[in-house]
This record gives sequence, structure tokens and C-alpha cells, in this order.
Amino acid sequence: MTTQHKTKSSSWKNKFREKLIDIIGKEGVISSDDELLAYDCDALTGYRIKPIFVVLPTSAEQVSQVIKECDLENIPFVPRGAGTGLSGGALPTDEGIVISLARMNKIIDVDIPNQRVVVEPGVVNLWVTNAVSPYGYYYAPDPSSQIVCTIGGNVAENSGGVHCLKYGVTTNHVLGVEMVLPNGEIIEIGGKTLDNPGYDITGLVVGSEGLLGIVTKVTLKIIKKPEAVKTLFASYDNVEDAGASVSGITARGVIPAGMEIMDSFCIISVEETIGAGYPIDAGAILLVELDGPTAEVEAQLPIVEEMLRENNAIEIKIAKNSKERDLLWKGRKSAFPAMGRISSDYYVQDGVIPRSKLAEVLGEIGELSKKYGLRVANVFHAGDGNLHPLVLYDASKEGDLDKTLELAGEILKVCVDKGGSITGEHGVGHDKKRFLSLMFDDNDLDAMNLIRCAFDNKGLCNPGKLFPTPRTCVEPGMKKFEPHPVQKAGMGEMY
Amino acid sequence: MIKKSTLRNLYKIVDEKNVVIESEKLDAFSIDGVLPQIVMSPNNVDQVSEIMKLAFKDSLSVIPWGAGTKSALGNKPQRADIILSTKNLDRIVEHGASDLVATTECGITLKKLQKALNIENQFLAVDPPHVSRKATIGGIIATNDSGPERLRYGTVREFLIGLKVVMADGSIFKGGSKVVKNVAGYDLPKLYVGSLGTLGIIVEATFRLYPVPEYSETYIASFPSLDDCQETILRLLDSNLVMTSLELLNPDLSASLAKRNDLDIDDSTYSLAIGIRNAEKAVQEQISSAKKVCGQNNGNGFLITGTQEVKLWEDIRNFPWNLIKAQRVVCKAGVVVSQMPQVLKTIKQLSDENGVKIYVSGRAGIGICVIAVKGKGPSVKNVLKKLRDFITSIDGHLVLLEAPSEIKNGFDVWGEIGSGLGIMKRIKANYDPNNLLNPGRFI
Repeated sequence: MTTQHKTKSSSWKNKFREKLIDIIGKEGVISSDDELLAYDCDALTGYRIKPIFVVLPTSAEQVSQVIKECDLENIPFVPRGAGTGLSGGALPTDEGIVISLARMNKIIDVDIPNQRVVVEPGVVNLWVTNAVSPYGYYYAPDPSSQIVCTIGGNVAENSGGVHCLKYGVTTNHVLGVEMVLPNGEIIEIGGKTLDNPGYDITGLVVGSEGLLGIVTKVTLKIIKKPEAVKTLFASYDNVEDAGASVSGITARGVIPAGMEIMDSFCIISVEETIGAGYPIDAGAILLVELDGPTAEVEAQLPIVEEMLRENNAIEIKIAKNSKERDLLWKGRKSAFPAMGRISSDYYVQDGVIPRSKLAEVLGEIGELSKKYGLRVANVFHAGDGNLHPLVLYDASKEGDLDKTLELAGEILKVCVDKGGSITGEHGVGHDKKRFLSLMFDDNDLDAMNLIRCAFDNKGLCNPGKLFPTPRTCVEPGMKKFEPHPVQKAGMGEMY
Repeated sequence: MIKKSTLRNLYKIVDEKNVVIESEKLDAFSIDGVLPQIVMSPNNVDQVSEIMKLAFKDSLSVIPWGAGTKSALGNKPQRADIILSTKNLDRIVEHGASDLVATTECGITLKKLQKALNIENQFLAVDPPHVSRKATIGGIIATNDSGPERLRYGTVREFLIGLKVVMADGSIFKGGSKVVKNVAGYDLPKLYVGSLGTLGIIVEATFRLYPVPEYSETYIASFPSLDDCQETILRLLDSNLVMTSLELLNPDLSASLAKRNDLDIDDSTYSLAIGIRNAEKAVQEQISSAKKVCGQNNGNGFLITGTQEVKLWEDIRNFPWNLIKAQRVVCKAGVVVSQMPQVLKTIKQLSDENGVKIYVSGRAGIGICVIAVKGKGPSVKNVLKKLRDFITSIDGHLVLLEAPSEIKNGFDVWGEIGSGLGIMKRIKANYDPNNLLNPGRFI
């Protein structure tokens, strides 16, 4: 739901468009209705808003000038990478513009001895690894969309991936950024060196979902490819046993690079789609990837095998070569698209729970699925407790989507009740903002709002995202939080 | 001065035994010669909040204090009305061993926390100095302190997942969560890492933990030249080895460590200490590879394990506070790894020119140097100025960790903060509008 602003007149629009063209050039400003449609949503396609214009700057200076114009005219702006986000973080704002970083896609510096790569935000995640792999290095965060998603988007969302159990998420690999603040100021924070004096603004900007400004340059840490990699596959009668194996492995002091579980629903659809060699009669499968020095992996392998067997694994396979390994992973990575084969529509959830509560939570999700009469397939990063329940529905069926969203919300409540989080890697964005208050009370949200206000006093940068209710900025020292006038007037919650 | 009526109200919040007000006892809380008027040690988070509310109302400055082991860090405080000691906030809230996470109050010492975590064969992966001097979790977060094992694990920044803070006005908020993966809301815990008590009182923290590695060995090698040493470092970093620590010792430091630990380290040249902690076989194989790389670059050395190894690393970790008891200036430089030799060469030159001893422990894998200058007077200041000029010229930075007042006068502790300073000041102003928290020392 979005509040309707007064529509800008066409003469104003023409003038504003001319200004944008002056800054960026004609080829960098999109204003035709047809082309604008391509920008009306991200990968969360249920919400769509057409922006007034889309601009594609090629430098920080251009971004800064565009933002200054927006500031002058009070026009909201939304940064956008590849539009693969699953929480509506790049959903345009009504009567606002979209700033696409797609043309800022250069790898600026590959510094192997210092294990750093400096990129523009439009660089695709996988390009970084491709650029450094000839030297034996890679960029660790590997979201499923890594062949298209951009580093700028990864920074905004603090993206994870299937290997972040051991290596961490985006924030653990970003050492500095150049960014344009919502007032147009260009600043540089962090960089190739560590412990730069001052607050850790880089740490704050990563995961801020595009609300604090527009990142125009990113310094990344790359790491050496491990000497050995072993991928194990195990099948089970039920998900509980798979979950218990995961807990058993970490309890024995082994931290694999990744641990992934899929339930029978996912297995069947993946097998029907790509044929990864998963047993279709299994209740669950578990993938465990170990990596590191050969001797370390060899020491860990028997411990992992023991834990799998101890928790009733039916079949255990170890990939013999990279081809077998790739096939095992291909099944996992195509779990989402495969769902499209068995259901016309699906909605992905992204809750996190403490690993030890896995069996409990899966039971409760099963109950909810029955209660709502909607099928839920489960695929998850089991090692770090990040669940991706996929709720299957039929958009053409009256009321099905509403029911789906309600069920998905119930799942998040279960996650938070168990001490978890509403999002592990997809972000709050537009989609989950009404659930943020399950985790954070008014004081917590005020503390976040004070940050937003320090960066963006006018609230023009990706407004309407993340916060459950609109929060205004006040002068420092004044009362921190004022309810929005609409709310005050009793006209209801806004989300 | 704190008003009498306010004092009375402060006394109502905590027991008398948790207040220090006698002037002779306040000396122990001096920060660059600035003494507080009162030291208060609240028993719980609500008491912290009550104190902050009163301070906010009367515009009293508050300096958070753990064990005071790093109180020399930062510029001289503009004022110090209340020192708020967290020493009574020392309870472990929860250790979720099967989830490898723990939540603790922040006045707990790292030593006490590690002891409790070790029962489950887990640990908090940070090895800063001052552990035996009761460094607290809150102080370690506020200063982002770390040690040689940072190469493998990073600093607390990388595994602090949740935080509870009492703000300048006494309100209490939490950020992050208690699960290892979470992107809900801004990552406020990161903002507090290294914020030096200027944004609130850190009262509770949740961390991701690691299993204690089963075995450990350290190889120490000395090299005929700095170039050989650097070549070894680059080759080791470019290999598949997963080192826990890689420390470059300059000759003056080697001499000192050799003597204290009864080790035969060649103190005429640069040496490397390579520590690997892992499964036993993995350690042995990797140490032997590391030894080979050293040998190929003319490095010669020996292996240590057990108590001797533990003691050496404890000594490196506590450098320079253990080695130089008086007349020391301590600083930390950050450069890229490939520039470390230039820093060491500059230090050698400055040491020779100015006739002062300079000890350096280089975190060779990450480009951080802990530097201790022994001496006083204008020559030390001259060394620092020239060193900072050089390091800044290669896009690095030099921060003073500890120095006597005469050095701090006219020599900025932090150096250039850069174009991010403006936004840092705006954050500070929004979080602490009356500039009451650690005023003047940092942002």
C-alpha cells in the first residue's frame, strides 16, 4: 500500500528530465512508459510501482549531481543494482526516480598481493571471482543469484550464500566504500587498510538496504581457494534426522563451509526438473561441504560421516570429483526455479532460527501448512539456521495470495519466538517491514531511525522501506520519535 | 561540579559500596590527568539507565569504564563528571553451546568468559592484550582490541551479532539478534565496535563462538634480510595454508622476547612467528610446508609447542605493556601488507637517527603494526610526526594508543579521519546531543 502523492505536472517532469539529461546525457535517462515498466519491481514481483524516470549514471559525480537535484525538488530516489532482491528493496517510490548503477560496472583494481579488489557497484558478484580465480583466489559471499546480482546490491542487503557458515556474509568481506550521501556529498570510508580511525561506517552501510545513500565504489577482500574440498550427500527418512546431523557436526567442533537441507517436496521437484541424482523417496537430504587444507578436511571427514550415520542417514555419498560435486550443488541451487514446475506461484520466506530448534520449527511449519491448506516446501542453510520455506500458491485463485502472506507471516512469528530473526539474507525491504517490530521495540527502532536521520534528514533515500511505520527526523536532543500525522489522526497503521 | 541534590539522587540508585567519591581513591581513575568526581558501579542495566537519565538531566559527562586497561586511548577528555564502571555487570546471560553463541553482560572479564566457554570446548575468538589485567568484554568491543590470532578470526567486529546499549538519555535499546545470520534492521552492533564509549554504555553482547582447535604449533624463523622475510610473508599468504597468526618481529622486539622466554631467536635481524592451530595432523603438515617456504627464502628457525608456545604468544599479545614499563609511547599503524617493509625500514631509520629504541610487532598477514617507542622528550615526538607523515603518504594511518600528556599536546591521537568525519559527527550528535559521553576523546 502506498500513499498517493500529488502527481507532478508534465511540464515539471519535462524540466526535471532536461536537468537529468544535462547531468548524465540522453542515453542515461529512461522516461518512456514501456522502458520504465522494466523497473517497476525487483524479484519480489507482487508489488509494482512505476518510477517517473530511471537514470543510469556512470560516475559518483553524476550520482551526486542527480541526488542534489532530487534534494532540491524533494524527489525520492531508489538505488537499484540488478533487481534480484527478494524483499522489494528496489521497489520504486511513487513519484520518485530510480538510480540504476548498472552502467557503473568496472573492476577498478585487482590487488592480489594485498588480497583486495576494488569495484564499482554494478559489477556482478561472480565477475569478482572470475577476475581473481586465475591467481587462485575467490570472493566468498555466493548468493544463489551470483551470476546476475551486483556487488552494490550485495552491500545494500548484506547478502549471504551457501558458504557463509564458515566464511561469513558480505559485511565480513567489505573493507570500505565510496558513497554519495543523501545530500549529495561524496565520502570515502574504510579502504584497503584495516582499523582506519573513526566509527565503522562501512559496517553500518552494509545491510542498510539502500536507505543511507548510494555506494559508488567498494573495496572487497578476496580469499585463497582452499586446497581441498569434499562434498558429502546424505539422505534421510525425515528432516529431523537431517537437522540432528547438522547439530551433531558443529557440536563435534567441525565448521563446514556450508550445510544445506532440502525436504522431500524440494527433492521431488528438483529431480523432476534437473535430475541431480537425489533419491525421490527420501524425506530429506543434507549436503555438507568441507574445505580447507587437505589434512584438515581428511581429519574432519570421518567425524562428519560418523555424525551422519549416528543420526540415521540412509545413504551417504561423497562426491568423487568436481563434476559430481557440481551436480549435487546444482540440485540445491535450482531448488527455487524447480518450484515453478510444481506450482504456478511461490513465495520465499527467509527466517532464521537457532540451529538447535530446527526440528521443533519444522514441525510447527508443517502444522501451519495444514492449517492454511497451502503446501510449504523447505530448503535451508541448515548450518546457520537460515530457513527458506517456499509457500506454494496459485495467484489466479481468489484470496490465495493473501492466505500465503498470512501463513508466511506466521512462520516469521515462529522464528522470532524461538529467538531468531525475520530475515537472514533477503532483507526487510518493503515486504517484511511490518514484521520488524516482532524483533525490535520502539527504542530499538528509534536508535535505527537516528542513524537514518543522520544520513538522510529529509527521508528521500529509498523511503518507505525497512521501518514498520514512517518515522520523522527531529533536531538532535528533541523527542526522538513522533508518530506520523496520519497515524496520529487515527487513520491507521501504515505498512 | 555535580549538584548536591543530584549526588543524593545518584546515591539512591546504587549501594554505597558501589560508589567511589574519596579523592585519594579517585586517582586510580585518572585519564590523562583528568579526574572524575564520582565513580559508580551499578549492579544491573536498569541502574545504568537511571544513572544516565540523571546525568542527562543535569548535563553531566559520563565515561564508561571496564577495567581501565585502555584508558590511555583517545584524546584528553574535555571533562569527566561520572565514571560509570561496568565491573558488576559480569554475568553470562546464556551460553547456547549447541548453537555456538553466547550472550553476556559486558563488564565480565574476557578471562572469566573464556573459562566458562571452555567447559564446552568453545571460545570467543579474540586474543587481545591485558587479559590478565582483567580486560572486559565491553572495553574490548569499545576499542575493537585484538591480538595476533586476528589473522584467522578477525576482531570482535566479525562475530559480535547482538548488543544492548544504554543511550545518553538513559533509554535502552538492542541491535542485531541472537542468531548468527541476521540482516533485520541496521547493523548497529558494528557501529559500537571501536566507538570508544562515545555512543552509549554497552551493557550486553551476543557473540558467535568457535570450537577450540585441538592442537597447536609455532615455527619461528629468522631471515638474513627484511626482503627475504617479506618474500616469505607474501608466499605464505599466497599459499593454501590457514595460519592462525603470522607475526613479524623487529630485531629489538626479538631480543626482548628471546630473553624473556629463553628462546634462541636471532636478534640481529627480522623474524617471523608462524602459529597454526587445527587438527594435529593438519597442523604438522602445514607447519612443515611453512618451514619449507621459510627455507626457500633463507629463513632458519625452530619449532615450539606446549607451554613454551603458549607463553610466547601471551608475551607477543601483551606487547608492549609487558616489556616496557616506563617511558613508552605506543601506537598502531595500518597499511597494506605489501607496504609493511617500507614502514619497518622507516622505523629503523628513525630509530637510528633519533637514538631511540623502537619495538615493532607486525601482524604481517593483515598490515597492522603495533609500535612502541621507548624514550621521552622532543625526539620521540619527532619520530612520531615523521612516522605518521610517511605512513599517511602511503595511504595508511597511525593512531596513538598510549602516550604521556606532553606528547598528546599538539599531536592528534587519531590523525586524519577523512571525508567520513562529517557523517560520524552527525551520528554522534544524534546519539549524544549534549556531548556527554566521553567528550573530546574521540568523535
